[in-house]
Amino acid sequence: MNRFLLLIVFLFSLITTSQNTENIFGSFESNSQLLQDDSALNFTSPEDNFRSNNYLQINYDIGKFSSGIQYESYLPNAMLGYYPEYNGKNEIASYFVNVKNEKADLTLGYFYEQFGNGLIFRAWENRQLGINNSIKGIKLNYNFSDSFSLTTIYGQQRNGFELNEATIQGIDSNLNLNKFLKFEELDLSIGASYVGRYQDNSTNNLIPANVKALGARLDLYYGRFSLNFEAITKDADIISNEGVIQSNKLYDGTALQLDLGYSKKGLGISSTFRRLENFNFYSDRLAEGNIYNQQTLSYTPALTKQQDYLLTNIYVYSSQPRLVVNALENRSGEVGSQTDFYYTFNKKSFLGKYKTKIAVNFSYWAAIESDFNQDESYDVEFIGNGNRYYRDFNFELKNRWNKRFNTTLTMLDVIIDKGVALGGPLGVQGDIKAKVGVIEGTYRYDNGKSSRAVIQHLWTKQDKKNWVGLVYEYNFSTSLNLFIADGWNYGSTDKIHYYNVGGSYSKNNTRLSLNYGRQRGGLICVGGVCRYVPENTGINLNLNLVF
Amino acid sequence: MNKLITIITIIFSISVSSQSVLPDLNLNTLNGEEVSIRSISSDDKIAVVSLWATWCVPCIKELDAISEYYEEWKEEVDFELYAVSTDDSRTIKRVNAMVNGKGWEYNILLDTNNELQRSLGASTIPLTLIVKNNKIVYRHSGYSAGVEFELFDKIKELK
Repeated sequence: MNRFLLLIVFLFSLITTSQNTENIFGSFESNSQLLQDDSALNFTSPEDNFRSNNYLQINYDIGKFSSGIQYESYLPNAMLGYYPEYNGKNEIASYFVNVKNEKADLTLGYFYEQFGNGLIFRAWENRQLGINNSIKGIKLNYNFSDSFSLTTIYGQQRNGFELNEATIQGIDSNLNLNKFLKFEELDLSIGASYVGRYQDNSTNNLIPANVKALGARLDLYYGRFSLNFEAITKDADIISNEGVIQSNKLYDGTALQLDLGYSKKGLGISSTFRRLENFNFYSDRLAEGNIYNQQTLSYTPALTKQQDYLLTNIYVYSSQPRLVVNALENRSGEVGSQTDFYYTFNKKSFLGKYKTKIAVNFSYWAAIESDFNQDESYDVEFIGNGNRYYRDFNFELKNRWNKRFNTTLTMLDVIIDKGVALGGPLGVQGDIKAKVGVIEGTYRYDNGKSSRAVIQHLWTKQDKKNWVGLVYEYNFSTSLNLFIADGWNYGSTDKIHYYNVGGSYSKNNTRLSLNYGRQRGGLICVGGVCRYVPENTGINLNLNLVF
Repeated sequence: MNKLITIITIIFSISVSSQSVLPDLNLNTLNGEEVSIRSISSDDKIAVVSLWATWCVPCIKELDAISEYYEEWKEEVDFELYAVSTDDSRTIKRVNAMVNGKGWEYNILLDTNNELQRSLGASTIPLTLIVKNNKIVYRHSGYSAGVEFELFDKIKELK
């Protein structure tokens, strides 16, 4: 760490002497909560009822060099539901120096990267989810020509403020074939990637020290059509759950993804098929099953439509790529597909006058059909007829009635396995079937003032029964708004109101938001990755400054 | 807490002295061609950069709202809108279908692993910038109905 800082200082002293344009920029983000007891929710606030996550990032660029440093503090403790390793800590979390020219791009220090779809490797940051799985080491990207580039990585993955002991190596290559094909309408590129993990096995030769994954992909665009395909295989490795090895056997894993698309002006269709069999790759062999999404190398998000409304995101899917072999349940992974359809009516048609736009999404995800044997091995189908985990059908209709008023109508019909939604073994507890309807209207006055109202209802006979939701938001200007919201679970015996009031101010480089209310316990999902948040009541303050 | 106040003070003092520019990054188009983000506003060109995602409802509202006037506005002032999708691999394949399905005429760029978003310090989207000669002259995060008119007023000021 100290050696590294010295190196940065040394590089700076070298480059500041040269005549180059300098640039300092960065950001500060603070997310805090003040929790209070709430007997209606059975929520007792923890002893440290003030919790705050803070991130300060400063970058310095000069000429071909750039550098950055990120300081994070979780004081007195990290917010509820975050990785407990962060509690009570504040440190310089990451730093890097980068130098690049037309051909080469070299990073020393902490870096982020993604290979292909990310199935084989993705190092990224998402503060809402508490994910920062950057790698500390060296990354080199080299463009051999316009058509061929190579990225190599080497290092150790961040885990909290520490590093995992295993070393990670990776190579990703990309070859664009357009030059060789010379078809005007055709774009074709192929890629291959390798990611390896070396982790000491303390002379236990039954556990592999080296585990590698290999992948290949193809991206094809032909006029209005597109086709993307990626396949990954991973070496046999142990399977584990929360630090404990689950079987005496080693199991290999595979991932397959195929995307097809067709679009022209006013119409877009895209469809994805994905199959994940025992496909988890962590930077520590015992990290599998951790509920905080930490130490991941592979990125296998749920492929369903992301919902944004109060009641449409109660029953959300999270992907199930794991192999589980135990007395309670046996499963080998997930297979399924989703399809999106977007359509805008022609301006001259009747519906086009009201700027009618339609979006439809359908998804179906299930277990891969597998038979498990006495000796903990299994026989598996390519798809088969495994337990259904999730099925949804979404319909969205948008209209603009005049220059001031527009509406959005959303309907959602969802079936989710109780184990997926609420926890416990999958495929044996039955389903939750729910229907949700949402009507949203926005009215614009002059001078940036506007009103937005949302009415929604959720129907289900299972779980906590019916809900009704209301949101009203008033924008005093384009910078300042206030809102009130309530999700009322009137169908349940407790009939709890999840109320919230708050507002936000956003001007130039500053954004500030404040709200008070009840947080429904459950999954907060961003980009198909979910974090569990326990029910709580309190004040939340978010500040974001950019400089 | 005191530490926090010190940090905030430092940031403010830096922010007064610093000038916001776009970072030196290349982003891909939907067909895999590289575009230097610094080239889009060179030579006095006016560029609007809007960070969005297919799953971000307010982002789509903003881009839908601007698309109603985009042609009209471009006739009045010469500018280009670059809609930078921050969709990751979960939703990136939806981008093309959505852009065409909605009939958007924007330049689409992909920020798949959120490099641009990170270096702009954008913890939330939508984030909309007006850039000229690589300098960020206007920045707005969040969407409320009518903000598109404020955006166009700012663009006209730069003409």
